[in-house]
Amino acid sequence: MHIPDGYLGPATCGFFYAVMLPLWTIASRIVKKNLSAKQVPILAIGASFSFVIMMFNVPIPGGTTGHAVGGVLVAILLGPWAASIAITVALVIQALVFGDGGITAIGANCFNMAFVLPFAGYYIYKAISHKSPVDSNRRVIAAGIAGWAALAIAAAFAGFEFGIQPLFYKTATGQTLYCPYGLSVALPAMLGEHLLVFGWVEAIVTALVIKYLQKQSPELLEERRKDR
Amino acid sequence: MINYHNFIERSITGALSFLKESVFADQYAAKKGFLQSLDPRIKTITFMVFIVLIIFTKDIRVLFFMYALCLLLGSISKINLWFFLRRSWIFIPLFSIFIAIPALFNIVTPGETLVALKIFGIKLTITRQGFFGASLFVARVVTSVSFAVLLTLTTKHFELLKVLRIFKIPQIFVMTLGMCYRYIFLFVEIVSSTYLAVKSRVGSRIHYRTGQHLAAWNIAALWQRSYRLNEDVYNAMLSRGYRGESFALNDFRTKTKDWLWVCLVVIISAGVSYFNYG
Repeated sequence: MHIPDGYLGPATCGFFYAVMLPLWTIASRIVKKNLSAKQVPILAIGASFSFVIMMFNVPIPGGTTGHAVGGVLVAILLGPWAASIAITVALVIQALVFGDGGITAIGANCFNMAFVLPFAGYYIYKAISHKSPVDSNRRVIAAGIAGWAALAIAAAFAGFEFGIQPLFYKTATGQTLYCPYGLSVALPAMLGEHLLVFGWVEAIVTALVIKYLQKQSPELLEERRKDR
Repeated sequence: MINYHNFIERSITGALSFLKESVFADQYAAKKGFLQSLDPRIKTITFMVFIVLIIFTKDIRVLFFMYALCLLLGSISKINLWFFLRRSWIFIPLFSIFIAIPALFNIVTPGETLVALKIFGIKLTITRQGFFGASLFVARVVTSVSFAVLLTLTTKHFELLKVLRIFKIPQIFVMTLGMCYRYIFLFVEIVSSTYLAVKSRVGSRIHYRTGQHLAAWNIAALWQRSYRLNEDVYNAMLSRGYRGESFALNDFRTKTKDWLWVCLVVIISAGVSYFNYG
């Protein structure tokens, strides 16, 4: 889902930077206010964790492997605002240092993966798990559904961003300048693969990690921070 | 032989190649080449200017010129051409070529016929608009990715993250960025050793359901270990003088060479902009 440089036009890139700037400012204010000094390193550790989650290959039927994005998991563990900062940092390092995702597309990538993904996932998880006990199966199911649905929502946004490029950037002769596929192709393509393949990997990983933590470290699933 | 369909071996290989690539990249950044000798702040800003120019460019000849400039800069910075091409073309540009192919045809991009084909009895035409649109798209992606890779290869990773401070981003991001980069390597090493331990105990043939549990449990165990690490890190920060605000040393120095480079970039940018919009 990492959008590289050259796929989105300059106005789209600029628009998403403009959208993300106030969100980053709000996130840093909320997290600074609510995180105790002792918990400061957890943001960096959370960012490294969300970076490394993608290195865990998960087997899928048919003999191949996939990997989870982990955005919803980090949001459940850290809260949505802290997760937003942690994922932003991971995405900036990926783009700037490891060439994964474009520099001009950092705004759009952060909007999809550091804002839409953790917030949608976190609130779906909250709505389904409601006030159930920390060790309940309902929370495991809620985490799985949240992982699957939030990834699909984020993918739909990415598909939409790709799909509007031919509408905005086309020469008089009909030649496209950026992503060549319109909404009728880009949106179903992005949604289809994430609903049918990657979404399931995300759901399985998010649910199983929550199940494991329920058994081994339930205190990590309890709500402590005020930013939730 | 590595079985790339096996998730255990794939994770180990992925982690090891990540570490190897990082070491290789740092070796290039330490060489005494042209780009390595520039102030990282000036270099990062000028490369961002180049990437923005590429995004605005609508003429493929300008993109070819920019790509040639990128290769020239790489060669005077002592970057091995083969290594650079491999690093910049895999994976995004090759993937972009693959997804641009359907856009050549009239079913996606209608327009004037350039070439008429018959594939499995189906009549297809490559349109002029489709061909030039797809070429421009691929050229833009290749050129911008190449500049980003060149910046990464010629700048020490830690310096590259330190440069972000000039953009006046909130302190919490600056601190998190610096710390995060260090922990990535620790965590990648944990991932690699964990999977190596699993491989030595259970072999490589595992049912995919068991494999999914195994991967998820390892992610959860990594989070547990990370969370416990938090207190140690905080104590280490306190022992180094952390009192709630972080300070970073600013050891960047600009030289005459940097300003000459800025002048050259201004001239190139003006020329490219004139060619685009003049």
